[in-house]
Amino acid sequence: MKKLVTVLLALCLVIGCSAALADKLTVTAWDANFNGAALQAAADDYKANVDPDFELEINIVSGSSDVENDMTLAGSSGDISNLSDIVLFQDHFIQRYVADYPSLWVPMDDAGINWDDFGAEKLSYSTVDGVHYGVPVDNGTAIMAYRVDILEQCGYTIDDMKGITWDKFLEIGKEVYAKTGKALLSMDGSGNDLPYMMLQAEGESQFKDGKAVIAGNEKLTRIIKVITDMAKEKVLILANDWTGYTNETIMQDQVAGVLNGNWIIPTMNQVSDNAGKWQITSLPTLDGGEGYAANGGSSLYVTANCKNVELAKKFLAYTFGGSTGTYDNALRNGGVITCCISAGQSAVYSEGVPFFNGQAVYSDIVAMGANVPIVEQNDFHYTVRGYVGNAIVNIINGADIESELQQAQELIDFAMDV
Amino acid sequence: MNKKKGLGLLARQKAAGWAFLTPASLLIFVMSFYPMVQAFITSFQTGSSANLKWADPLIKNYARMLKDKVFLTSMGNTFLYLAIQVPIMLVLAILLAQLLNNKDLKLRGLFRTMIFLPCATALVSYALIFKTLFATEGLINSMLKGLGIIQENVNWLGQPTTAKAVIIIALLWRWTGYNMVFFLAGLQNIEYSVYEAANIDGASGWKTFWHITVPLLRPVIVMTGIMSINGTLQLFDESVNLTNGGPSNTTITMSHYIYNNSLGTGVANFGYASALAFVVFILVAILATINMKVGDTRD
Repeated sequence: MKKLVTVLLALCLVIGCSAALADKLTVTAWDANFNGAALQAAADDYKANVDPDFELEINIVSGSSDVENDMTLAGSSGDISNLSDIVLFQDHFIQRYVADYPSLWVPMDDAGINWDDFGAEKLSYSTVDGVHYGVPVDNGTAIMAYRVDILEQCGYTIDDMKGITWDKFLEIGKEVYAKTGKALLSMDGSGNDLPYMMLQAEGESQFKDGKAVIAGNEKLTRIIKVITDMAKEKVLILANDWTGYTNETIMQDQVAGVLNGNWIIPTMNQVSDNAGKWQITSLPTLDGGEGYAANGGSSLYVTANCKNVELAKKFLAYTFGGSTGTYDNALRNGGVITCCISAGQSAVYSEGVPFFNGQAVYSDIVAMGANVPIVEQNDFHYTVRGYVGNAIVNIINGADIESELQQAQELIDFAMDV
Repeated sequence: MNKKKGLGLLARQKAAGWAFLTPASLLIFVMSFYPMVQAFITSFQTGSSANLKWADPLIKNYARMLKDKVFLTSMGNTFLYLAIQVPIMLVLAILLAQLLNNKDLKLRGLFRTMIFLPCATALVSYALIFKTLFATEGLINSMLKGLGIIQENVNWLGQPTTAKAVIIIALLWRWTGYNMVFFLAGLQNIEYSVYEAANIDGASGWKTFWHITVPLLRPVIVMTGIMSINGTLQLFDESVNLTNGGPSNTTITMSHYIYNNSLGTGVANFGYASALAFVVFILVAILATINMKVGDTRD
C-alpha cells in the first residue's frame, strides 16, 4: 500500500513537472545587453500576447565562441543533452555544422514564417540545400559612418561620400589626416574584415565553386592595394587585435570614419562627446557607385535536444518571424536591428537618431540590407580572413603583394584540403 | 605461528598500500591514459568530427604536418622561446635563491614572497596585464617616451621581434619566482658546514657556488629543467591572450595551433589536431629523457 502511494506520488510529481515545463524553453546567447535583450523582448512579447504561461530561460555565456565550441563538442561527442532548446550563433558557422552534424538541427520550413519578408542575403547563410534552419535575429548590414563635422572642415558633405571610389576615399582621407590627425578608417589587423566587405560590395566572393580564389584575383588584388595604400598614408589604422580596434581606435576617438556591421554602433555610442556628429551611408567601391555589404549577424537555431519543437517553432515564428512588438523592444533595449523588412518600417525604426545627427539610421540600415548582394559563402570564411589579414600585415611591412597573395593561397588551400 | 602472523601484517600493509594507490591510479587511467590512447587512435582518422574515418594512407595526418608551414613556424617559435627563456629563467632563479638564502639578509621573507607572487596570478590575467602594459598607448611606451628613450610610441605587439620579446619577458616575470622556490628548498638541504669548510679552505664565493652549490643542486636543476621544458613546449595562454599568435602567426605556439585546428576557427579538424598533439608529446618525452640522462648522478 505504502509503495503504491509512493509510486502515485512520484507519478504526480512527474506529471506536475512536465505540466509546469510544458510552456518553457531554454536558449543560449552571449551578450546580455545585446542579443540577450532581444530574446527578453521576444519572451515578454510572446507571454503578453500569446501564452501567459510561457517562460524563456536565457543562458548568457561569455562570448560567441563559447556557443560555437558547445556545438562542435556536442556534435562530435554525440551527446546533445546539455544543449539548450534554441541556440544563437554567428551566421558563418551553420553551413559547416549542418554538413558535419546533420542530426543536430531541426528544419524551420513548416514553422509558418514568411521568408520573403527577410533580406535574401541574410537567409542565404542559414538555408542549406533549400531547407531553412535558422530564424534571423540581428542584421549584419555594413554601415559606412562618417564624422560630418570633420568632413565639413575639409569641404565635404555626407552626400559627397555616397558612391565614391576607394581612390577618392583615400584622397579625402589624406586631407582629413593632414587637417585633423584622425584616420578615416580603422580595422582589426589580425582578423581583417575589410577585404571580405569590400569584395562583397563589388558583388564578389573570396570563394568560387568551393575553392578560395586569392592569388591572381584581380578585384581582390586591387582591394588589397587600396587597403595597404591607406594604411601607409595613415588613412587606415590597423589595430593589433579586436580590443585594440574597438577600445583604442574607436573609443579613444582616433577615427573620423567607421566601416563595419551595424553592431559596431554601440561601440561608437561610447564616445558621447561625438553625439550628433556622425552620419551613415553606403560603402565606396573600386570603380564608383554605392556598395552594400554585410558582416556578422546571427540567427537562432532549434537543436535536436529541444523537447517541445512545436512550441519553439510557434515562439520563433510569432516573435522573430516579424512581430514589431519584439523588434521594437529589441532595438530600444539592446540596439538589435532586424533583418525583417516589414518590422523595419515601424514607427520606432523611422525615428531620427540624435547620435546620428537626426538621421533615421535604423530604417536606412534595414533598407540597405535589402541591397546586399548574395556572394558565395564557405566554411573556411575565418581561415581565409586570417591568412588574407596576415598577408596585408606583411605587405604593409614591405613584402611584395603578388607573392604574399600566392603564399596566402597556398596556406588556405592547405588548410582547406583535409 | 609468529612468523605467519608477521607475514599477515606485511600483507595487510601491502593491501592498505594498494588501497591507497587505487583511487588515484584509477583516476589517472580514466582521465589521462584513456584519453591519450583515444587521441592516438583519432590521430589516424580524418573527416567531420562527428563521423571520423580512417585516413588513407593511415599516416596522412602525420605526413601533412611536414608540409604545414604554419605548424613549422609554430614549432620554430616554441623552440625559440624554449632556447632563450628557460636558460635565462633558471640562472636567474638560482642566483635569486642564492641571494635570498643569505642568513644575514633582512626582510628575507618579504622578498621571497614578492618574487614568488607573480605565480599566484592566473595565466590569462597576467597575459592581459602585459598586453595592456605593452599596448601602443600603454604604460611602457609612455614611460620610455617620458624618459626620452623613444620618440614615437612603439607597437610592441604588432612587430614580430618585439612581440616575441614581450612574450619572453612575460614568461620570465611569471615563472622565475616559481623555480626559485625549488632552488631555495634545495639550498636548505645543503649542510652549512660544507660552506664553512670551503670558507676555511679559502674558496672564493664564486668557486663555492660553482663547485658546491651547483653540483649539490643538480637534482633540483634537472627537475626544474624538465618542468620548464615541458611547460614551454605546451605554451598556450600567452600566445592566445597576449598576441593571439600575431602579427601574422609569427608568435603562435604549437599548442595554440593545435587549438586553432580543433576549436579555434570552427574548423574542428580533430584528427589532425590529435596528430599534432602527439608530436608535441613525443618531443616532450625526448627532451625529458635527454635531460634525465644528462642529470643522472648514478654513474
